[in-house]
This record gives sequence, structure tokens and C-alpha cells, in this order.
Amino acid sequence: MNKSIQNIIKKIDILSEKIGRRINLMEVCGTHTQAVARYGIRELMPKNIRLTSGPGCPVCVTSQEDIDMIVNLALAGIPVATYGDMMRVPGVYGSLDQAREKGAKVFTVYSVEEALVLQKKYPDLVFFGLGFETTAAMTAYAVKKGLTVFSVHKLFIPAMKALLKLGELKIDGFINPGHVSTIIGVKPYTDIKAPQVITGFIAEDILIGIYMLLRQLAENRAEVENEYLRSVRQEGNPAALKSIFEVFDVEDGNWRGFGVIPKSGLEIKNKFKNQNAKIKYKKILDKIDFSKSKKTTACKCGEIIRGLKEPRECPLFKKLCTPEYPVGPCMVSVEGACNVEYRYNQNAKIKNQKSK
Amino acid sequence: MQKSKIKNQNNRIELDHGGGGYKSWELLRDIRGILRLKGKWKNCEDDAAIFNLEKQKLVFTTDAFIVDPIFFPGGDIGKIAICGTINDLAVMGARPLGISLSMIIEEGFPKADLMKIIESIDAVSRQAGIPVVTGDTKVTEKGKIDKIEITTAGVGLAKKIISNNGINPGDLIITSGDLGEHAAALLSKRFNYKTRVKSDSKPLNEELEKVGKYLNACKDPTRGGLAANLVEMAEKSKVKVVLDEKILPYKKEIIAISELLGIDIFSLASEGRFIAAVSPKKVKKVLQILRKYNNPPTGGAKIIGRAERGRGVFLKTSLGSLRPIEMPKGKLIPRIC
Repeated sequence: MNKSIQNIIKKIDILSEKIGRRINLMEVCGTHTQAVARYGIRELMPKNIRLTSGPGCPVCVTSQEDIDMIVNLALAGIPVATYGDMMRVPGVYGSLDQAREKGAKVFTVYSVEEALVLQKKYPDLVFFGLGFETTAAMTAYAVKKGLTVFSVHKLFIPAMKALLKLGELKIDGFINPGHVSTIIGVKPYTDIKAPQVITGFIAEDILIGIYMLLRQLAENRAEVENEYLRSVRQEGNPAALKSIFEVFDVEDGNWRGFGVIPKSGLEIKNKFKNQNAKIKYKKILDKIDFSKSKKTTACKCGEIIRGLKEPRECPLFKKLCTPEYPVGPCMVSVEGACNVEYRYNQNAKIKNQKSK
Repeated sequence: MQKSKIKNQNNRIELDHGGGGYKSWELLRDIRGILRLKGKWKNCEDDAAIFNLEKQKLVFTTDAFIVDPIFFPGGDIGKIAICGTINDLAVMGARPLGISLSMIIEEGFPKADLMKIIESIDAVSRQAGIPVVTGDTKVTEKGKIDKIEITTAGVGLAKKIISNNGINPGDLIITSGDLGEHAAALLSKRFNYKTRVKSDSKPLNEELEKVGKYLNACKDPTRGGLAANLVEMAEKSKVKVVLDEKILPYKKEIIAISELLGIDIFSLASEGRFIAAVSPKKVKKVLQILRKYNNPPTGGAKIIGRAERGRGVFLKTSLGSLRPIEMPKGKLIPRIC
């Protein structure tokens, strides 16, 4: 093992022993979820540190109702394009993939550029825009170029605040999302009252981030520190932010696992209302029967997104729910906690099961 | 309710059934459950089937190609269609004799593009010394297929078959060159990235003719990349393979593209490389020969890991932990967070 890494781990060991009690640290970014598993970082942690995943996977936090709406639009003959992982999330009316199998025009795109090209061929095309500030900036660009969008874009900070307000899990510190922070900068995190470190995505980044969080805990500080200096500037990316708020208004957002979080959603401004699929296709959307969407299943995605449960604590995990036959979005998305756990941690037992 | 959901998903063919992962395997099993007659052919569940002749073995393979975009840096659908079949024969230790070429073309497809595709097939055919000997052409109404679909088949003769299940504990795992450049070239074209990455597609018959006799197992890491193909080889050979993160066969640009998009680098396909297991005594000789064909700067042949007793494929990470490398599930999907 690399010497500098050994040093960081040693420092983490010393600090965690000094703090003594159980420490819950949460990462809130799909890429961090993958990186933690990829590098086996949980295995390197002292016993009293529990690393959990929060609502950082855009596909996972998209609500059932929104998925049912977009699937219904597709089934009604409206061409729909979205990012790959979204295709397979099952809703009450099936997934977008299943809609396509039945003949609906559904397209996987890698970027909004591809959606803009598709729109030339299918002028009625609706882009199902999801994700946080990172992808919202790209969607904003595409709206300005004339793309019609069904926006389920979300703002990140309100979800972190909602988590703390719910208070179901005592979160001692956040590993803040590197990509989102590249857009929003450091300042928006300052009114969250918890230790936070913005980190990058390689092993050293994450370990240093954990060390910095422990240092804050040991010194009784609760502030935002930036470890990902090579990408995240204090002010973020002003051009991207400007573009987002030229196109979107901040409204209430519907999150899987949380329900409605005030002022957490991005809705297309009135100025672009002709490109807002929710207005353009209101007649189709109004007819959808949502009574089934609210039905609960044994799927624990909601609790997993809130960091209350580990994937292995879900009764469906690896039994009825696998990446090939996913029941919930956390198993569909390559950024989802269940999918990541399934891929990288085949033989592990539940670590720290007796937490909380 | 959950059970019925899963049943529903089985009723139709999904894109994942063609993805090369677990679902493809399930589908193949179902098809093979019906097509049970095998005659004297062996190895029918694999990339190429084998028919024993008196002194040699006849090897027979076929492959269908769809690719988006059809022209990409370093090649086109025609080039990968002919290379794919030549390489499927070559990695079995066979000397390819001839190739068949069938095309389904969408009405309205530009004739100049078709001729460009045929010319690149011709270029590979001449380079490899393997003729295209028969074929068929169909045209469908506009919109029935997407531009063009190509199916190639090929026969070859082998004195000794190189299997994909012959890895022994103690063998070294090598690659004939750096991996993932084909997939990375396609991805950078889709994302409009300005890179110098070109598809690695090329025929492998000549280099495999030279080193085939030294190899214990061999496979070309096309669909599913190193992950899918090495996992399959290790599983069939009943060994454990440990790769070392420090000596992975990927160029800087490929790593950058995979990290930028958040796509698992081990799933990136190559169309002109192979992975093989070689006993430590012979490895120096094999690498020496292969470097004539895959010189640095194109990324030379090298050792990437070692086989041991046990099961599974693992990567020794820079942190010293062993992380499992899994069979990729479904299609490659870039990150959105």
C-alpha cells in the first residue's frame, strides 16, 4: 500500500479512537457510492465509523409518480428520451424500457446534445430531465436550444437539510458531492449545521475527506471544508448557475423516500412554458390513476436513500431483486446503493448491522 | 405481486438480452434448450463450434453486427464485422479459410457509404489474406432497421484448439496490447470529445498463428471487455485470477474517458486484442513475439495478472484491498451524478 495512504488511515484510526463513540458519516453522491465500494474503503474503516450512502443517486430519488407520468406519456405515443439508467426503473405502468418493447418511441441518450439531434426527427420529443445541478445545467442549455423537457431536476442542499430535520439517523458528517459542488461552489453548504467536506473521487480524496471530518468532530467544529480544490471553486461555476436559473424556477420537489421537499425542485420557467411537457401534455397526465403509485411494496429503497438501512437489510436484496430483475431504482442505477453493493461486495456480511 | 412483476419482464426480449451479460446467457440457454441436435459438432455453446476432421479440426463461427455510429475513428461497421469473425476463429487457434458476408440494408442508405464499408472489408481481407467467398444482400423498407446490419460467418482449420477454459493455477495472464480503445473511440465520437483515440480493430490471425502454440487459454475481449471475458475464462477454467491495479492495460486517454463518463473501464470492448494465459516459462517469448505486432506507442503486450487456485477475478487496488471484478450487467451507462 502506498505510504501516504497508510499515513491517512493511521490518522483516521487515531482520531476515531480518540472520539470513541459511534460515528455515522454519509456520502451523498452516486459516484462516491461507487468509489467507496470500488476501493474497499469500508473495509479500511475503524469499527466505530459507519459509512452510509444518502440520496445521491438521481435515478433513485426520482419519485414513482414522476416515472408513472413519463411512462404514460410514452405509452400515449409521445417520443421520450432520457439517460440510460432511468429506462429500467419499474413503475406501476411498467418501465420506459417496457414501454418501448410495447412499441412506444423511447430513446436512450448519453447527453442532451443527442436529444437535440433526435428532436429534429421527432419534433414532439420530450426529454425526461433528471439529476442535480450537474445535469440541470445541461438541460438548461438544451431548453434554450428548443428542447421540450419533463423536468424532475432537483437541488441538492434541500435534501441534506431535510435529512437532518427528519433526524431519523444521527449524521455526524457529510462527504459532500464533488461534481455537484463543482457547479454550486462551497457557499450554499454553509447554513447546514453539520461537519462537511467536499471531496474528489479517488481513494486518497475520500480518505482525506474522512480524516478532515473526524478532525472537525474532534475539535467540535461544524463547517464546510473543500478537499476537492482541483475542481471545486468557492463560487462554483457561475456561468452554469446563471444558465440554470434563466431556465428554471425553484419549486417544491417530489423525492422518493422523502415525499415533497419544499423548494427542492427545478421547474421550467413560464417563459419556456411551450417546452414544458407537464403543461403541453397536461390532458394526458391528468388522466393517470395514481392510486396504485402510492401502494407500498417490500422494497426498501426509501429507507436506503435516507441512510437508515443497508441494502443487505432489504428482504428482497439478491433474492427477488437483482440488477437483471430490479424491483426498485436503487438496484437499477449503477449509482444506486443496492446495485453498487451487489456488484462490488458479493460475499460481505452486513457490517455494523447493529447501528442506530 | 413482486413475482408477477418478474414474470412480466421475461415475456419480451429486452436490450439486455443482447448485452453479453447474464441475460444473454439465459437467452442462449433457452434457445439451446430447443436446438438440441448437435450432430458431431462440439463446443456448440461457445463463440465457435468444432468439427473433428481426420488430422485437423474444422472451426465454424458467426457474428451479427450493429453499431452506432457506423463510421468511427479507426474503422467502421464493415471493419469490425470482418475482424470479429476472423478473430473469433484465430483465438480458437484456427487458421481462417474464408468468410461469408450478409447485409441487411435500409432503403435510402447512401451507396457511397456502402462502398466505403465494402472497401474497408476488402482492406482487412487483403491484410489478413482471408477472402470473402460468399454472401447475401437484402434491403428493407425505410425505418424497418437502422441503416445497416451485417452478419459474417467464417470457417477455419486448427491443428490444436486453444480453449478459453485452459487457465492453470500459476499461469500468467497477458494482453496482446492495451485494451478498451474500440469502445472509447465510439464513446468519444458519441460525446463529441476531441481525442486522438482510435478503434483498435484489426485482424489477429497472424500474431495468433505465431504464438498460439504457447497459449493455455485465449479469448478476445470484445463485448463486455476484460471484465466479462476474463470472468468467463476464469469461471470455466475453475481458477482465481488476480490483476494488479498498477499494471493495468489501459492508456491514460482511455482512463480519462472512462472516469469522465463514469463508465467501468473493465467493460470497455476491444476489437483487435486478445487476453491469454501463458505458463511463466514461455511468457517472455510470447511477449517478445507479440510486441512486433502491438508495439508501444500502440501499447505493447504485457502481463496483467496471475492465476491461482480458487475462484473469481479480483483486482489488487492501490489501497491493498482485493476487489472483485464482476460480469458487467446490461449496457454501458455514463454517470449522471
